[in-house]
Amino acid sequence: MSLLEVQDLSVVYEPSDAAPTHAVRDVSLTLERGEFVGLVGESGSGKSTLGFALTRLSKPPARISSGRILFDGRDVAALEDEQLRAQRRGGFAMVLQSGMNALNPVRTVGNHFRDVFAAHGHVPRERRDARARELVEKVELSSTVLGRYPGELSGGMRQRVSIALALALEPQLMVFDEPTTALDVLVQHAVMRTIRELQASEGFTALLISHDLGVVLESTSRVMVMHQGVVVEDGASRDVLRDPQDDYTKMLLSHYADPRAEVVELPGLAARGGQLVTSASTAPSPGRRAHGSGSAPRVGRAASAAVVVDGVSKVYPPPRRGAATVTALDDVSMRLEPGQSMALVGASGSGKSTLAQLITGVVRPTSGTVSVGDVRVDALRGRGLRALRRDVQMVFQDPYAALNPLHTVEYTLTRPVVNYTGRSRREARARVLELLETVGLTPVEQFAAKLPHQLSGGQRQRVVIARALASDPQIIVADEPVSMLDVSLRAGVLALLEGLRAEHGVSMLYITHDLLSARVVTDQIMVLHDGRVVERGETSQVLRFPQDPYTIELLDAVPQPSRAGGAA
Amino acid sequence: MRYFLSRLGLFALTAWAAITLNFLLPRLMPGSPADAAIARLAQNGPVDPATRAAIEAQLGVPTGGLLAQYWDYLGNVLTLDFGVSYTFFPASVASLVGSALPFTLVLVGLVTVAAFVIGTLIGVLAAWRRGSALDALPTLSGSFLAAFPYFWTALLLLFFLGYTFQLFPTSGAYSPYTTPGLNGPFLADAVAHAVLPAVTILLTSLGGWILGMRNAMIGTLGDDYVTFAEANGLRSRTVALRYAARNAILPNLTGFGLALGGVVGGSLLVERVFAYPGVGYLLFNAVTNQDFPLMQALFLMITLSVLVANFVVDTLYGILDPRTRR
Repeated sequence: MSLLEVQDLSVVYEPSDAAPTHAVRDVSLTLERGEFVGLVGESGSGKSTLGFALTRLSKPPARISSGRILFDGRDVAALEDEQLRAQRRGGFAMVLQSGMNALNPVRTVGNHFRDVFAAHGHVPRERRDARARELVEKVELSSTVLGRYPGELSGGMRQRVSIALALALEPQLMVFDEPTTALDVLVQHAVMRTIRELQASEGFTALLISHDLGVVLESTSRVMVMHQGVVVEDGASRDVLRDPQDDYTKMLLSHYADPRAEVVELPGLAARGGQLVTSASTAPSPGRRAHGSGSAPRVGRAASAAVVVDGVSKVYPPPRRGAATVTALDDVSMRLEPGQSMALVGASGSGKSTLAQLITGVVRPTSGTVSVGDVRVDALRGRGLRALRRDVQMVFQDPYAALNPLHTVEYTLTRPVVNYTGRSRREARARVLELLETVGLTPVEQFAAKLPHQLSGGQRQRVVIARALASDPQIIVADEPVSMLDVSLRAGVLALLEGLRAEHGVSMLYITHDLLSARVVTDQIMVLHDGRVVERGETSQVLRFPQDPYTIELLDAVPQPSRAGGAA
Repeated sequence: MRYFLSRLGLFALTAWAAITLNFLLPRLMPGSPADAAIARLAQNGPVDPATRAAIEAQLGVPTGGLLAQYWDYLGNVLTLDFGVSYTFFPASVASLVGSALPFTLVLVGLVTVAAFVIGTLIGVLAAWRRGSALDALPTLSGSFLAAFPYFWTALLLLFFLGYTFQLFPTSGAYSPYTTPGLNGPFLADAVAHAVLPAVTILLTSLGGWILGMRNAMIGTLGDDYVTFAEANGLRSRTVALRYAARNAILPNLTGFGLALGGVVGGSLLVERVFAYPGVGYLLFNAVTNQDFPLMQALFLMITLSVLVANFVVDTLYGILDPRTRR
């Protein structure tokens, strides 16, 4: 008998004020004991809904409308509340998406374990503390974390704690719902390794739900792909990689590539091999700047401006009394030529966002200088900063938080057009429609009237990019512009940014931890580690032949579908 | 520990600032109480120098420089010597405040704490049973009652329970035939007198606490740690109280602090309607009679009580939320 058998399961969302959504449709699947299975899908595919249904955590308005879930031969839906609660020990456990917030901020880690033991009584009272220590050591944490509050732990540590808590239940089935999504690349890599090792040593059955086919293929022996509530692919990881059956799976796979390869190609993005980049001199000359496609002539302004950062350090005061000062950047210099695109990569805490804030004039350096053209950014105040923002614009990471939910797209775009380019209302409207056209949101009239919540993530990010373009800037600082987007939408946004550079001569500083996207949209790259530049050069050169151990570590952390089935 | 010491230090500093302001503000006003009294007399004809001297002597015209006065004043505050009331001459301000304060503290203070505790518990229940009758009933009636101005609720209660059915006494804190002190008849009588004002305050403030707690808890019920606690099979009581409610109460503490701070100064209307001899009633008398020493002492009391309430809530925060301690 299979450990888990799902027969024709459908889950429907029935909100009281909207039409019902069929999130999961007639899904049938089985999990055998000891298997490590992946469940992949993009946002809205129904994968998390399915995970919640399997562990009976679905809450209204979600409802299982038909089908059966047999866990170890018992119908999960038929369990009484108290039976269900008992079943959570030695049955199925779940590790949640954004495990960062899965711990009660006002209880110590040790108390979380005590709560679990008290709820099930499966560990004798006198053994409980020792067992908790054993469990946190299993997830490679020191037992001192037991005395600490969740707020005192890093994201990776918190996710490890929630894995240890799930382990405390001695489950037969562990459902991991996007366990590493909110984590930094290197941390994600380490946590996934821990999960794989635990699965092998503890022998539980694991279901890994993720939007990242790369992560899943790398870890699991079998993979299921979900699309619009239906499982469209189910097969051994190796086979799926080599010979995907469904078009959707093929599409997902096409978005993965090895950033170290000689030629890297993603759908919709031109190949960038070694031949393209020779030096900064290949940057488009000012003469090549196209003013077509709605870009207004820069009347009375310098045609181009390079960003020059010279010997910049930024030291923040200690976060709390007694702690040491934080050096976010340590003697960093760089130069971004007009029309060039440069990647700034590093793990979180490496100082890449601080550098962006220095260039946009949001923070001032502790020492060193930052200039855009002949303007000293670090000396600007008030009016000067306003003028700078006309030239230097920002694209933010989270398109869901970067737009005011109360304003229409048109309003959002009109503000910077009126404020920075001095157009009249009527001219501004024409410019707004042009901008929407530029970022590919057509029909433009229709999109102009929409509110942010009526748009998808990818469409929102296009609005954010259009807003950055509204002031007709010379430099765009893009801070992880695609990290929140589904894989299939990423290429489109990246192609758009790349097109802006090529057609409008806008130079771009592309901040990311995603080396693959850095490879396809940038010419130059700079690797930051603990506030220092550890490696820089032409992107293809650096990624193909990395010199610094940190760059190599980052490259190793990139999920590689090609390693499929090699795990466990 | 460092957190509590720093809170205590902050409390001492603000208290000192409040006491100093209380000293400085009246001195920044032009004229003096003696001038005001003499001006009033002067309307009936010239005031002879002997009368002027007598009035100044009676009111105590300050001698010495500002710094010396300040020093005297600090000493007086520490020994609770706030002078003599004009209105209730020759009673000292300290004795007047001393006899009014306990009534206000016990009545309004206890009722405020009770309203917070009861309202929070009902809010927890309403959120946990969201959408059921246990949610709808307290939520609806709570917001209905909270919409009444409380002196109006007081008048309704007074009219029906006091006059029509004569269940409770209509004014005062105790009957003249009892002797204040710790004896049975007095306490029973005091409780009977306190019922109507207490019910008034309870009814009008309960709704706010119910709604605040319910909404905060509905928020925390959607948080990941609550889902995770459920996924781990914790008992629903544990999930509701230690996970959801424990976190939901934090934002409500701020409101509780404001309410506690308002105990001494904010009871004016209720005490006026019920002629309850508390601080609010005393303040009302002091203001209508231009009783400066009494007013000054009462304002100081009110300010200090807000500071004490803030300190209490800061301490509570420190105990309940480990994140504030860092």
